[in-house]
Amino acid sequence: MEMFAEQLINGLTIGSFYALVAIGYTMVYGVMKLINFAHGDLFTLGSYLGYTILVIGAGWATATFGVWGGVIVAVIGAMIGIGFAGLLLEKVAYAPVYKAGRLPLVVSALGASIFISNAIMAIWGPRYQAYPQASIPTGSLVLFGDVRITYVRLVTILVSLGLMALMYYIIEKTTFGSAVRASALDKDTATLMGIDFKKIIRFVFFVGPSLGALAGVFAGLNYSRIIFNLGQTYGLKAFTASILGGIGNIPGAMIGGLLLGLMEALFEGYVSGAWKNVFVFVILIVILIIRPTGLISEKIAEKV
Amino acid sequence: MKKAFAFTFTVMIILSLILTGCAQPAAEEETIKIGLQAPLTGAYAAEGAWAKQCVEIAAQLINDKGGVLGKKIEIVVVDDASNPKDSALAAQKMVSQGLQEVIASYGSSVTAPAADLYDANKVVSVAYGATAVRLTMEKERPYFFRTAGRDDTQSEFFAKFAVETLGAKTLAVMHDNQDYGKGVAVDAMAFLQPYIDAGQVEVVYYDAVTPNESDYSAVVSQIKALNPDVWFYTAYYSEAALLLKQAREAGVTSTFIGSNAVPSPEFVKIAGESIVDGSIHLNEPMPQFLSFPESKEFLDAYQAKYNEMPGSIWSVYAADGLNALVAAIRKAGTTDPDKVAEAMRTMTDATGITGLLLFTERGDRKDIPYYAYIYNAQGILEPYK
Repeated sequence: MEMFAEQLINGLTIGSFYALVAIGYTMVYGVMKLINFAHGDLFTLGSYLGYTILVIGAGWATATFGVWGGVIVAVIGAMIGIGFAGLLLEKVAYAPVYKAGRLPLVVSALGASIFISNAIMAIWGPRYQAYPQASIPTGSLVLFGDVRITYVRLVTILVSLGLMALMYYIIEKTTFGSAVRASALDKDTATLMGIDFKKIIRFVFFVGPSLGALAGVFAGLNYSRIIFNLGQTYGLKAFTASILGGIGNIPGAMIGGLLLGLMEALFEGYVSGAWKNVFVFVILIVILIIRPTGLISEKIAEKV
Repeated sequence: MKKAFAFTFTVMIILSLILTGCAQPAAEEETIKIGLQAPLTGAYAAEGAWAKQCVEIAAQLINDKGGVLGKKIEIVVVDDASNPKDSALAAQKMVSQGLQEVIASYGSSVTAPAADLYDANKVVSVAYGATAVRLTMEKERPYFFRTAGRDDTQSEFFAKFAVETLGAKTLAVMHDNQDYGKGVAVDAMAFLQPYIDAGQVEVVYYDAVTPNESDYSAVVSQIKALNPDVWFYTAYYSEAALLLKQAREAGVTSTFIGSNAVPSPEFVKIAGESIVDGSIHLNEPMPQFLSFPESKEFLDAYQAKYNEMPGSIWSVYAADGLNALVAAIRKAGTTDPDKVAEAMRTMTDATGITGLLLFTERGDRKDIPYYAYIYNAQGILEPYK
């Protein structure tokens, strides 16, 4: 029973990371029908940016507001920084080739991914970096019996779930959200209705990467080890999660991410760690055979 | 006019070809080139950098004493990016440069394809961080040697140490499904079998984790529930650091034993001093505890240049790869690969930084001792008593 509770928490943590990164994939895909392969690398960049802020700039924040103060500065700094990096990416890598069709866009996305990951390697070096021990909050909360959860982990889960709820609210319940969904549905008609499509694009390219950056900094805080190709594993899993949930819609990405994390933890904990990824991808294939559009597919009629 | 130009041009090209053609052999004869294939980028980049530094220091020491066969040693470094594919490319590069002796490489999966290529092209290669048994026992490679020990040496030591020294009753054995880690784990199980049959110990966990991931909490919870006396992790330091950190945070109290690829400054950096405190690691002699005359000379020269000890024993084995090759070249009186390989097998008095450099018929190093070390609260490794 204790182990089951622990595995649920483990799965929820892993799933939170997948879900946060998956939102970035799915938003861009929803609006532009483009798989932003560079998204996983923006996640890594966010993690490194948070690391740099903690190493050089968070000293005063830690001294003034305690260790969590440093963390908040690093998280917000990385989110804003990577949000702008996302905008820049769109401007440099995607905007010039929109009209050329989808294939050049995919190539451009792959190129951007390789560029970012190699730039990270060139700047921070090819070796593992570790988040400074002194700026990682320590301690854990005992839930019941011997089941405990580190404060960093707890905050990771709560902040992720909170932000997911906020994203859900913005997209599904606000006027701006309807504009985003309308653009995803039919860009031309939406534009005719007076929706500023450029603004929608800026929104998805700012918010998606900054959520990725948040996940990146949390990954550093939880696991401390970061490396220039960190985003490859997370990117692949998050992309899988967004497909699992039904790519193009945000609740799908959240549910897909959490489900993937839970499946991994439960399978690894109860059956076999060595076969974890095999199992997870078999499940993915089975789900896609039964529901080719993912678990939560858009409830709309196909465009004619 | 056009014709005249074409003629001059052709003559110039021919002349330049002849000139460069003549210049090359003259330059080659001045030094003996020895290759170093190392993971300068990728997952083992730290090891690659240390290996390069160690081999360069060793080459410098040899050259200061007049080199070998009256010539200076020149090290040619090629990056294998810590993966088998680039390793094959690196080997190809060495072969096409006409090298006859190389030091290659770190990691068993990475070394295997390169060793095949070197062997096929009759290049003597000496591995320094590839410890999988199958590299020498699965098939015969007449030109392959290694200065590092084999995984089963370590596994045999582990079984005896865990059961007889620590008195463990329940054990967990964990690997990462890669060549090296799985090799150690499989051998450890084999050497534990007599104790299991005698009812002395029980292996409560035997499985693998997926490398290159960040979250190992699911496995950690499983270890916590099983609560073994000893938890043996047989693969590399970065996953080991994450596993141990997450385990201690979750309240796992089992004695952690790391295999010889775990203890390193990077391990302490990722996990933190308070986490690694009390964890035990099996290793061939650590650089700082080496006590041969050659080791002192080498370590002094290394510290004078880099102001620190070599980060791992593997990089010192790379330097000993060079020492072994030089000893063999000296004995053979030539760099001809066939004669050098023969000399490697029959040397009886070659010494290096890590003691005698003697090799078996299959290319394995003879007589490598094993030790247990323990991290103290400052994250410094001490011999286990």
